[in-house]
Amino acid sequence: MQHQNNGIWVSAEDLNRDDAFLKSAEQEFSIEELADAPTGWRPSRRDFLKWMGFSVGAATVAASCEIPVRKVIPYVTKPDAIVPGVANYYASSFVNGSDYCAILVKTREGRPIKIEGNSLSSVTSGGTSARAQALVLSLYDTRRLKHPGTIEDGQVKKLSWKALDEKIKGQLQLGGNVRILTNTIISPTAKKVLDEFVAKYPNTRVVSYDPVSHAALLTANQVCFGVRGIPTYKFAEADVIVSFGADFLGTWVSPIEHARDYTSRRRIHSLDKPSMSRHYQVESHMSLTGSNADMRIQIRPSEMGAAICALYNEVARATGAPTLDGPTLNEKAQAALKKAATDLLALRGRSLVVCGTNNVMEHIIVNKINDLLGNINHTIDFSVLNNLHQGDERDLVRLIHEMNAGQVAMVIVWGANPAYELPNADEFKQAFSKVNTRVSFSTVMDETTTLCNYVAPTHHILESWGDAEPKTGHYSLIQPTIAPLFDTRQAELSLLEWADSPNLNRQAEQPYYEYLKAHWTTEMKAKQSKYATGMAFWDMSLHDGVFEVPPAPRTVEFNPNVRLNPAAVTQPGSGKVEIVFYETVNIGNGQYAHNPWLQEMPDPVTRTVWGNYLSIPVEWDGKNKMTGWMGLEDGDKVEVEINGRKQVCTVVRTFGQAPGTVAIALGGGREKGGCGVGYGVNVNPWLPIDGGFIQYFAKEVKISGKVGVEKNFACVQHHHTMGLAARDAEGKRINADEEVLAYQGALTDRSIIFQAHVNDLPNLRKKMADFHQHASHLNEQTLYPDRTDYFSIGPKWGMFIDLNACIGCGACQVACVSENNVPVVGKNEVARHHEMTWLRIDRYYYGDLENPRIVYQPLMCQHCDNAPCENVCPVNATNHSSEGINQMAYNRCIGTRYCANNCPYKVRRFNWLDYTTADTFPANEERLFRVEEGDIPFYADNLVRMVLNPDVTVRSRGVIEKCSFCIQRIQEGKLTAKREGRPLEDSDVRSACQTACPTGAIVFGNLNNPNSQVSQAIKRHEELAYQVLEEINTRPGVRYSAKIYNA
Amino acid sequence: MLWKYLWIVVIASLLTNGVLQAAPNVEEGKSLFMANCASCHSRDMKTNLTGPALAGVEERWAAYPRQDLYKWIRASQALIQEGHPRAVELWNQWKPTLMNNFPGLTDEQIESILLYINDVANKASTSTQAGQTAQPVSTAKDDSTLWILIAVGVILALLALALMRVVDNLQNLARVQAGQPPVRRTLAQILTTKGAIAFMVFAATLILGYKTVDNATRMGRQQGYQPEQPIAFSHALHAGANKIDCQYCHDSARKSKHASIPGANTCMNCHTVVKKGSKTGTAEITKIFASIGYDPITNKYIPDYDKWTEKQIAELYKKWIAQEYMADHNLKALDETGRETVETQWEGIVKALKDDSNGKIQGPIEWVRVHNLPDHAYFSHAQHVAVGQVACQQCHGPIEQMEEVYQYSTLGMGWCINCHRQTEVKFADNDYYQQYARYHEELKSGKRQKVTVEDIGGLECQKCHY
Repeated sequence: MQHQNNGIWVSAEDLNRDDAFLKSAEQEFSIEELADAPTGWRPSRRDFLKWMGFSVGAATVAASCEIPVRKVIPYVTKPDAIVPGVANYYASSFVNGSDYCAILVKTREGRPIKIEGNSLSSVTSGGTSARAQALVLSLYDTRRLKHPGTIEDGQVKKLSWKALDEKIKGQLQLGGNVRILTNTIISPTAKKVLDEFVAKYPNTRVVSYDPVSHAALLTANQVCFGVRGIPTYKFAEADVIVSFGADFLGTWVSPIEHARDYTSRRRIHSLDKPSMSRHYQVESHMSLTGSNADMRIQIRPSEMGAAICALYNEVARATGAPTLDGPTLNEKAQAALKKAATDLLALRGRSLVVCGTNNVMEHIIVNKINDLLGNINHTIDFSVLNNLHQGDERDLVRLIHEMNAGQVAMVIVWGANPAYELPNADEFKQAFSKVNTRVSFSTVMDETTTLCNYVAPTHHILESWGDAEPKTGHYSLIQPTIAPLFDTRQAELSLLEWADSPNLNRQAEQPYYEYLKAHWTTEMKAKQSKYATGMAFWDMSLHDGVFEVPPAPRTVEFNPNVRLNPAAVTQPGSGKVEIVFYETVNIGNGQYAHNPWLQEMPDPVTRTVWGNYLSIPVEWDGKNKMTGWMGLEDGDKVEVEINGRKQVCTVVRTFGQAPGTVAIALGGGREKGGCGVGYGVNVNPWLPIDGGFIQYFAKEVKISGKVGVEKNFACVQHHHTMGLAARDAEGKRINADEEVLAYQGALTDRSIIFQAHVNDLPNLRKKMADFHQHASHLNEQTLYPDRTDYFSIGPKWGMFIDLNACIGCGACQVACVSENNVPVVGKNEVARHHEMTWLRIDRYYYGDLENPRIVYQPLMCQHCDNAPCENVCPVNATNHSSEGINQMAYNRCIGTRYCANNCPYKVRRFNWLDYTTADTFPANEERLFRVEEGDIPFYADNLVRMVLNPDVTVRSRGVIEKCSFCIQRIQEGKLTAKREGRPLEDSDVRSACQTACPTGAIVFGNLNNPNSQVSQAIKRHEELAYQVLEEINTRPGVRYSAKIYNA
Repeated sequence: MLWKYLWIVVIASLLTNGVLQAAPNVEEGKSLFMANCASCHSRDMKTNLTGPALAGVEERWAAYPRQDLYKWIRASQALIQEGHPRAVELWNQWKPTLMNNFPGLTDEQIESILLYINDVANKASTSTQAGQTAQPVSTAKDDSTLWILIAVGVILALLALALMRVVDNLQNLARVQAGQPPVRRTLAQILTTKGAIAFMVFAATLILGYKTVDNATRMGRQQGYQPEQPIAFSHALHAGANKIDCQYCHDSARKSKHASIPGANTCMNCHTVVKKGSKTGTAEITKIFASIGYDPITNKYIPDYDKWTEKQIAELYKKWIAQEYMADHNLKALDETGRETVETQWEGIVKALKDDSNGKIQGPIEWVRVHNLPDHAYFSHAQHVAVGQVACQQCHGPIEQMEEVYQYSTLGMGWCINCHRQTEVKFADNDYYQQYARYHEELKSGKRQKVTVEDIGGLECQKCHY
């Protein structure tokens, strides 16, 4: 167990030196038989000859064919803004329930193809999330509803808008109670629309809830501070952070903003006087935030109340406040929290305690801790409230009651999907069926819409007008970037239409645009003084996408009358095993389950795709064996029973999962609406409700032994494992350094990750300096010609990735997929190691074996100057450019895969199948990904193909592909500079992963320019910057920084 | 002896080649015709265009010395001034149209052109339907080289046979000396020896392989492709005679990778005034009006043109065509030809504009794409036009002389590479190139004469393929 090198490991198999794992690490691709492969048939020699004859014949016929006539169709009247071949960017916003991101939408010839961050927003500062990046694909969802209609047997029967309006208005005029069921609405204009609707039909009430509830936090703040709102948490100003299960980097409140602020205190700004924040995470499962923490304090989920009380007591004792008689906590956690308290107390007013549970008293106690520490009004700022979570699931109880009592005549469902998202969905469905008129604004036929009798599909957000106020005084506009693809109508417009709004200009081409503009040119304009006319203000706001009003300072005080009641916090359970339900960065609570890009993005922590998996702890026998809990292995199926409800889940072993607990993500097991149907299990019915609040854990769970094995278990952790496997003459694995390792296997003493404690920096610097020296000594013994001279002319592209700023959120990965037309391959193909992502985020554990930390390493083609892949290509399809780019000419590639085999970083991807359906032989399409069985392949649909970037070749079957450093952006940037006759600037060329990153961890640019951002970043990190596998003399163009922690 | 033969063959082939190069031939005539004559003279040689149909030109000039015809082609006005009867006859028939002077054409070149004219004229109505299919220009080199090769092959084969005989005879001598009976192999036996078969297989593989590769690289290329366009738009008139700048219409060439075809609104910048063509009258320009919805009678754009029925459209434009016909011919009412003209022109409009996609007259004009690059080749007009300052004609040929555009260059990769090897980068006057400090130094010190596109990485794969 002491044999981990540089103290890192990838998995239990790695620690155990599992034979099968070592074997798989040696192999580029899985050679296991396909579970569902057609059996019993093998092509014979005669078949081969037949096909060869056919191919020759077909080629001859094809060659003699005449070239088809191709048309070139110009505009009749060309819009001034559009130059064919040149992208336009429009500022807009990504808003979906509790998700917000200020974005720029890149359009080509009027077709949105990529999302970028809008740097003018002080909320997101140009950062994005994986969800925001994937927005553009959902626009081209083939499952979108194409027209309004009535719903009969789950099918939409077409109705004209006029007919639908008449029917609905007819119902509304009967005067019954109307309920509008939504997720949180952050649009000021939409709220105005709702007000108008309520004014017209006074029996209307708007009921909001959030797919993942923050209701307890809101309630607690109301109790403690008299403000029902979520404050701004200033992670940038916090020296010590204690989080009680709040995944603030991944999903909690405002993750893009938090990630930016948090990492600003995690970077090493000065090597001599390093200072960074210290982060404690109290949790049961390894969350994205927890994986980045310096110290994870493992508890059972039911111990959360006890943990909060324990920390409170430590703080109270030091500050003279009365202590609480809370529930008991395990000793290990108790001791750790004591240390946390010491740190917190040392930095009063510069620390932050956050809580992610949904228990009001726990939040009240946490508020009190922050109050005692003097953080309120400092690191916790109530002058700018976060509006992204305003819903309260307790309202639903009343709604269900009303519906059951037959008091509701009409329910309009807008954005929400209660039939799936609610723990008591069955109860809801039953009550819902008693409502006479059920209208949905949904864009797809989801679980709730199926139960409705009318559907008035709204536009996709990229086709809509709108605005948002994600935080107090931070306004943001939404503008359409494409004409509506289908016969849909914006929900706001439908409501105004039904309310017979007098403020609606029905003659206008875009009535809601006029309505929105009217609101902005009057009420919003009044909030500023810079622009005198409403039009000038509107034009500027629309151009910028955001409009921010400086907040009026507001201080709050903790209400002294609030009584802290330790009996109201979560009481430890007596069950043998407890379970945690958590939200992942990609799928949410199922809202994003129908987006193939997000489904195929591996969960950062478990690295599984297409579904939710039951995380189980890894157990250590104390000597040299790591085993899965109950002897379970990855991919085993178990039966999970909670409250009498049984479901079969697939297991994935996860380090850091607290003993006696398991965890599973929300969002699996969708039943209707798109490609997410049938992946994973729906855990919502398992969620308990306590005091009206949905709880994201259960105290008692029964787990059977292994009941089966999942056929196509898709976890990418062991795919493309880096490292070198060598064997001696007898076939025994060998290693250069036998003392350290018994083999040279998956993880070696190679320089993949360097990590150290922040106080240990001098040692690390020395170690790395020695390493650099050793590596350069090795590298001097080279047969490669020295090409420094060759690369010194013109630009030389390179990248620097700060592992201290990388939180593993995966935005870069989805951005890369979007920018470079990387195909979706589907779960079966991923299980066969065939995922095509050019950029993967490797997960390495380090630290305590039973409670490790994680370092994430985004790994793409390293663009080695001495590239091992280039030498072995028999057709010279991959070679080096003078600008330091490892080039890949797809049309030259004949698919020998020698290059992939020879790549030490394992970043080359082979097109095993015709993923993008470039050819038309149906036999090649059998295993391609489809939204539903029986569909045409995913990319064969012309609607989906609209998402393709026209500047990047769509690769065909049988060729290798890999990261190109976004060569299309490089070429475009260089051209811009050339056309303007000026030197190249950093802003000209920014790679897709770089622009997507919310923390600025990735810097790309010209290494030959000593003043470029990338040169500067490397210089600033001095010895801490290294190249992966530096010692094997590949001379990569990508550099990383060592990972520093502050435990 | 073998070497002797070879030398003779090689020298002979060189000589014949040299002679053949200078002699007039159809291929050369074709390229000369396309470059010089085709903008005014019909390519089918049978119809009158700006200039007369050229079929039978030699017969018409047969009464005069051959030199007169050469002179006429080189400088027609001079011959008219001299009062040459045939020249004056032509002038009276065609004035005021002037024929360009071609002082640079040699007698042989003119003969080549005449050969080509006869060649085309004699191939009675075998010309392909222009417009619907690609018409790759025949790229076969003249046959003489092939014949020489065949001759050499035959000679070598005979030589080989003779040597075989010699070897046989020697062997037989040896056998006789050894007291064995002589064996005489037949030709068939010689040809079926292992060595002979191996050689033949080798030769066949070589030839077939070469041919396969050669033809494969040429696949999909369409140099010379000249499809018929929906509107008989003449670049010779617009870019040539009227000297309109290329980028007036193809305005995105300097900003984008696409030069793009201008929208009908760009046409209307001039054609609200120029409503009739000098050659085509109302036949072609009315198509633009019908596409965008412009009423040439009232000089107004038609509101809600999109909702018009075909009947309404027909009524308007037929009225316009008729009105102009009557004005041209000083008529008060349409005569028989007039009615025919109206109908033909309207049919032309329908044919040009009514597409399969929506079955409507209204909407964009669907031009036929002449230059088709494969999807995996990224070509940017902006790079070449704005940065490289390459003249359009360098790749597109004498566009300003083309009545109908054809693909001038091969657009093959070798063609691109060649140019990138030779073309100098506009190095001095663009600050972008400052970063190539070493080249600047070398230029200054005289160590380097020029910086070509190749020198700054212009031959690398991912400059064009990504």
